Amino acid sequence: MIAALALVAGIVLGLVLRPTVPTWLEPYLPIAVVAALDAVFGGVRARLDGIFDAKVFVVSFISNVVVAALIVFLGDKLGVGAQLSTAVVVVLGIRIFGNAAAIRRHVFRA
Amino acid sequence: MTPKPPAAGDQLSAQLLIDLVTNTLDPGYAAAARVRGHTPPRRWSDRPALAVGCVLIGFTLVVAYSHTNRGAPEAAKVHNDLVSRVRAAQHEVQRLSAQAQQLNSALTALRDQALSGDATLSRQLDRDQLLAGQTAAVGPGLQVVLTEPPRTSASAPPRRGGPAPGDVATILTDRDVRSVVNELWADGAEAISVNDVRLTPTSAIRFAGNAVLVDFAPVTTPFTIRAIGNADVLATNFASSAVASRYKTLAGADGIGFDFTEHAKLTLPASPATAPRIAHRPSRTATPLPTPTLTRTTR
Repeated sequence: MIAALALVAGIVLGLVLRPTVPTWLEPYLPIAVVAALDAVFGGVRARLDGIFDAKVFVVSFISNVVVAALIVFLGDKLGVGAQLSTAVVVVLGIRIFGNAAAIRRHVFRA
Repeated sequence: MTPKPPAAGDQLSAQLLIDLVTNTLDPGYAAAARVRGHTPPRRWSDRPALAVGCVLIGFTLVVAYSHTNRGAPEAAKVHNDLVSRVRAAQHEVQRLSAQAQQLNSALTALRDQALSGDATLSRQLDRDQLLAGQTAAVGPGLQVVLTEPPRTSASAPPRRGGPAPGDVATILTDRDVRSVVNELWADGAEAISVNDVRLTPTSAIRFAGNAVLVDFAPVTTPFTIRAIGNADVLATNFASSAVASRYKTLAGADGIGFDFTEHAKLTLPASPATAPRIAHRPSRTATPLPTPTLTRTTR
């Protein structure tokens, strides 16, 4: 309940503030999005598994974003930014798919 | 990470991939559950942490969404702006050329008035102007229509002076229009227009991008080529020409439209007057006139 409300609050906040993303932050936006989706699916799955932990949820989200951004930043400096960005998206994408499948098993028992 | 017996080399990397695909849940959840045991104590920080995390996630998603979509209207705006500027320029050209033709006809009328005494001069002037395409021409003739085969993604009906077809490759090019025009001249046409653009001795039929340009005016399919001359002779000669048979074949193979009909009365517009800027006639006192020499230019 709180999670849904907070999610809506975040969306409304984003819509109201409409912050302009600085140029240097732009390459990290897709990674942040994928990390956010991963955190959401992971959280829902953990909740269904009965092992949800708010601290883990928040820390994993923030650390995922930071680490992914760091990897891409490093890659950018070394000239492999695009490839590393793809790697991050692939890894997090696989996790999202796996978690979505687990959620599906929980919800539909199939 | 998940406790695993240390494996070496290939086994390790394979294990990594298997881990990646099978253990999709963040291992932190399992670890935390193990630590706190079966009866999870409710910490005071749980709710705020969850709320903060969710707010962050929602915020991130919306920022990414609005950032991605903010660029699109900008691009569309620039595009629309360019389109409207091109349209405005085209209208201006049409207006100005109409004005030029109007002024030209007024000039002709005035000059006729001034030359009313000298019938020979007046007649010669009329003839020269007609041949140079400076006045509208009326007479029997032949009308040839070349049409691009219908495209499946035809967004807008093509029209003269309208938007040139975009990046779609067209079958008909300037070469086709030119070959028909040249064939009509060869068959005895005395005045020709392409999509209501009158051809003059200095007219050029060119190709820019995908648009056919006749005297710098873009023309699009269907290309209507009107030629004034002896209609029967024109039709007979044109029908038996290599050009006509080529386009008849193409019409069967590629689906282009090709059609020519005799008309008892065709009206060709005048070309907007273009004064020569570089060339000028030799001064009358200068004698003798240089004899024209045949210079063969190789292409």
